[in-house]
Amino acid sequence: MLLLIVQLIILGVLAGALILWGCYFPYPSPLIRGGLPPRKRWPETQIRNWLEMGGFQQAFLNYFYRDPERTPTPGNNILAPSDGLITSAELRDGVRYLVIALSFWDMHVQRSPASGSVIKVETKGMDFMDGEGREFAFLREKPCPVQKRIIFSTDSGEIAVRLITSLAARRIEIWVKEHEAIVRGQRIGRILLGSTVVLELPATLNISVLVGERVKAGETVVAWEMSPA
Amino acid sequence: MNAFWWTSGHLGWGVFALAAFTGIWGLFFDLCWRLLAIRIGRLWALMTIGWMLGIGCILFGFYLAV
Repeated sequence: MLLLIVQLIILGVLAGALILWGCYFPYPSPLIRGGLPPRKRWPETQIRNWLEMGGFQQAFLNYFYRDPERTPTPGNNILAPSDGLITSAELRDGVRYLVIALSFWDMHVQRSPASGSVIKVETKGMDFMDGEGREFAFLREKPCPVQKRIIFSTDSGEIAVRLITSLAARRIEIWVKEHEAIVRGQRIGRILLGSTVVLELPATLNISVLVGERVKAGETVVAWEMSPA
Repeated sequence: MNAFWWTSGHLGWGVFALAAFTGIWGLFFDLCWRLLAIRIGRLWALMTIGWMLGIGCILFGFYLAV
């Protein structure tokens, strides 16, 4: 009798696992979710569904809002302001626009690319899309871009970081104030479910990353200044 | 009812092994599908062959035991 109970318990657990699998399919069941890498744990289609429905799984939100410590690479080189993938390094009117695309699984806290001070924090809403911005590829892709632009004064010249989000999730937090002194790698803000960060650099700086490369906020060196001989 | 299906007041080890193996194999299939970069047709073929081999081993083992 005891053996029968043990057998039925084992088969019951297996049946439960299969029912759970069927209920969650095609997304991973809670039984295996913890063991999967983030991109497999929360597939893009599932996150887009949550975006449309307006509700998210708490475990995903905990992962999304993570804010790990970062150790800036020694030196005075320019650091990546955000985690993500370099999608463009366009040079226009003496400014290098280094575009970093963030995925749902990237860490979304932005960091200062260099030491210096904050000159200005600009907020650009709906009006911006009809004015200056629309000729940029990184804004054309957005149905309704909303931006914050932080301009820094640094030893390498004036540098700006644009945090861009779109209609789906127009929430950007900025954690620095105008005229505030900042150190390299310091946290400057966060895009909540946003997708693009653009680093605007003087054309005189040498770029050390390639399009298609992944970068880490506050750690990866993206540009450097040639020292005077 | 022979020992494969029922024996001494509990499920026969043959049918128990078949059911448990099939359930575990199904969950394993799902895990492989998520983690491996492999075409679904090829995965289906591999997993079916694996399942048939497993079932074969269980049946053969049961045959030897009795």
